[in-house]
Amino acid sequence: MDESAPLAVELRGITKRFPGVVANSDIELRVRRGEVHAIVGENGAGKSTLMKTLYGMHRPDEGEILLDGKPVTFRSPSDAIAAGVGMVHQHFMLADNFTVLENVVLGSEPTRGVRLDRAAARRRIREISDSYALGLDPDTLVEDLGVGDRQRVEIAKVLYRGARTLILDEPTAVLVPQEVDELFGNLAELKREGLTVIFISHKLDEVRKVADSITVIRRGTTVGTADPRTTTARQLAEMMVGAELPTPATRASTVREAPVLRLSGVTVAAVDGRRVVDDVSFTVHEGEVVGIAGVEGNGQAELVDAIMGLRPLVAGTLLLGADDVTHWSTRQRREGGIGFIPEDRHRQGMLLDAPLWENRVLGHQTRPPVARGSFIDRKGARADTERIMREYDVRAPGPDTLAVALSGGNQQKLIVGREMSAAPRLLIAAHPTRGVDVGAQSAIWELLKDARAEGMGIVLISADLDELIGLSDTLRVMLRGRVVAALDPARLTPEELGTHMTGAAHPAGIA
Amino acid sequence: MTVVRRLAQAALAPVVAVVIALLISALVMLAIGVDPLDALRVMVDFGDEPSQQITALVVVLNRAVPLFLAGLAVAIAFRAGLFNIGVEGQYRMATIVTAGVGAAVVLPGPLHLLLMVVVAMAVAAIWAGIVAVLKVTRGVSEVISSIMLNFIALGTASFLLTGPLRGSEPGASIITSKDIPESGWMPSLNGLFDVLGLANPPRQLYGFLVVAVVVGVLVSVLLKRTRFGFDLRASGLSPSAASASGVDARGMVVKTMLLSGAVAGLIGMPDLLGRDHNYGTEFTSGLGFLGIAVALLGRNSPIGIALGALLFAFLDRAAVPLQIAQIPSSVVTIIQGTIVLAVVVANEVARRLTRRQAERGSAVAPPSTGNGSPGGGRGPDGGSPPDDGPGGGNGPGMATVSGAGGRRGEQQGAPA
Repeated sequence: MDESAPLAVELRGITKRFPGVVANSDIELRVRRGEVHAIVGENGAGKSTLMKTLYGMHRPDEGEILLDGKPVTFRSPSDAIAAGVGMVHQHFMLADNFTVLENVVLGSEPTRGVRLDRAAARRRIREISDSYALGLDPDTLVEDLGVGDRQRVEIAKVLYRGARTLILDEPTAVLVPQEVDELFGNLAELKREGLTVIFISHKLDEVRKVADSITVIRRGTTVGTADPRTTTARQLAEMMVGAELPTPATRASTVREAPVLRLSGVTVAAVDGRRVVDDVSFTVHEGEVVGIAGVEGNGQAELVDAIMGLRPLVAGTLLLGADDVTHWSTRQRREGGIGFIPEDRHRQGMLLDAPLWENRVLGHQTRPPVARGSFIDRKGARADTERIMREYDVRAPGPDTLAVALSGGNQQKLIVGREMSAAPRLLIAAHPTRGVDVGAQSAIWELLKDARAEGMGIVLISADLDELIGLSDTLRVMLRGRVVAALDPARLTPEELGTHMTGAAHPAGIA
Repeated sequence: MTVVRRLAQAALAPVVAVVIALLISALVMLAIGVDPLDALRVMVDFGDEPSQQITALVVVLNRAVPLFLAGLAVAIAFRAGLFNIGVEGQYRMATIVTAGVGAAVVLPGPLHLLLMVVVAMAVAAIWAGIVAVLKVTRGVSEVISSIMLNFIALGTASFLLTGPLRGSEPGASIITSKDIPESGWMPSLNGLFDVLGLANPPRQLYGFLVVAVVVGVLVSVLLKRTRFGFDLRASGLSPSAASASGVDARGMVVKTMLLSGAVAGLIGMPDLLGRDHNYGTEFTSGLGFLGIAVALLGRNSPIGIALGALLFAFLDRAAVPLQIAQIPSSVVTIIQGTIVLAVVVANEVARRLTRRQAERGSAVAPPSTGNGSPGGGRGPDGGSPPDDGPGGGNGPGMATVSGAGGRRGEQQGAPA
């Protein structure tokens, strides 16, 4: 690149304060036109805050933003879009029952008279799709698209609005390795057309694969830039966390003889009769971690619901120890020794508008120390919440704090602590480290490992392949509701596992 | 100290809302050519004589008792995330049936009263139970079915009144059921005024006031202290989290509606047992709907509902004096309406503010709990956030999906 050419994006001394905390401090960022520039940092390092500043979602307290060498002020995202800056959010913002075309034009519809000019829109979307090799059909319904395609629709949305600089917030978090490769292909196309991509991630090997230059953020400020060709992943990681990195790998096997959970022929049907979990059988022994891998939406969530008694089985049986729990209620199962770390802690794991001590009670309403007869033991619950906060390093002012006040990592640690407190025989851990920072992640891994060593059986569902491979004693892969593979995590790479997950290894779809 | 602060915080939104509502009402009054200060003077004027003042107070309290019970009935359902809009029908059904049963039997005093209260609670609970059964078996929204059942209840009540339970002379302008014998009359609390050395007014202070207070305390304990109350509130805060915690969602709907209905059955009792002793075309109506307003005003807490009921009762009492003073009594309705609107808005604003405050709070949470939380409230010096602070972006319901936190770099060597 020509050194004298103005930078596509330059941030000088950006500082953003929130009451009592400085989220970004003196950030320096220089992004050249036509490059893929990665911003890496831990969860909570301030990447999102920075990108929100650049996208006009809030204004910095200090510092300036320059686009193509000219200072700009964004009052809202629409100012940013007008200046050619677009953002692809981590969580897709698409209407499922709209077509690709409708989703792309939503909010900036081309009109003829008062009617939507579909022909013009279709032409324009085809143009965009062809020139950047997005492969989108404007008339497909979004609900029929896979995750990778949906992401391309999001990218098309931004391009349709004339963006020259794209911000991608953790774009690979929801993708399997194969889809990640496709995304990187798209990014290369964008780059070839002279567009600038700012890529936010904390997955270092991906960053090194795709980025032309890297800026590392730690604790709210830029700690340096790196050239992906000359920097090793290890050096990057050290810049990022400034410390030794945790690993999910477990120690020696602790699997014992006695089974804690036996599923045989478990089948769950959706409302339309489709079998979302189809004839699933496996056994979890004491001290064993059984990992369930699979692209999201292949029946893992329904399987968890079935084990927890939240969905009825149409066939099959569930044995907890020696008891047939197939027809037990959720409460009976919990009392019988099943702990539950749900996939979506806000939906199933917490009462956000309730204080922490009430969240300690949740799921344990019938058991001491939080219940006494028919009454809730408020004192006991408060005391035990304080114990959990201490032992599991939940950072909060006190047991009367509302759960919504806690960061994701602290909420998760509270949930893990709560479930461990009841000393369950079996723990259902669905995405136990999703959305938590590295510190909390390694803490949760340690807890799971300790619990396993003490003889707890664990069913681990995760989208994090390293976590699955590292923690599990045995792995099952789910595809379209069926268990299609039983794998030994000791001899498996994430890429191989990804191949199983997409079904590429099983053309017939049968284990 | 903290309790006082929490109470003050809880009361702030409704108080602000009431003030705003009064200002808006004042503007409306100006627009229709009424001097708001004049109206206010009439409304707060309880009379000059002590007996007049006490009478006015009794009128307010007597009106507040059914309003409180109605608010409580609505609030129980609200707490579980159910909107029982059918309180109106539930208490009307309960009252007409109770009036019929009460008039048909002769029992010693306390038993007679007890029987009627039990009948009232049972009838209203069954009526509300229909809503619950429809919801859990057929998925019918409780809002729709309870509105529909209101019409059925009113129609049925009219049929019973004009048919089997008719007690008044044919051709009388006001149709009533047969009078309940005196053994079924609730004694008044007027003895209290003599004990306190106050003027004993001609009006009877409803003995049911005591029952209402007891019910309020029981409901409060039930919701706050018991496992059942916890399950109920959890269902209201997050149905999905409640089921995952082992609450039987269907069972909870049924139990909640039965409880809400049972309390709704009591709404007609103060007037029936303390004043009218029969059910008729002139019997107090609309309490079920006012109950919704009162529950909103009281933010579904028994104490708040009591205050809300008193406020509404105070406003209702002012209707007659306003008319005497040549001011349209609809001023009262306007004030009540604007209060409800303002309270709904204020509660939502308050909820969001609390949430935002709480989220901000996480950014300033001290690094560890044992580490002097009172002094906490600032991130580490040098301006960097605590490592798991929200970075300004952790909104509710926004779980950040993340995969491996940079471990891949260590696990594997160079990428392919």
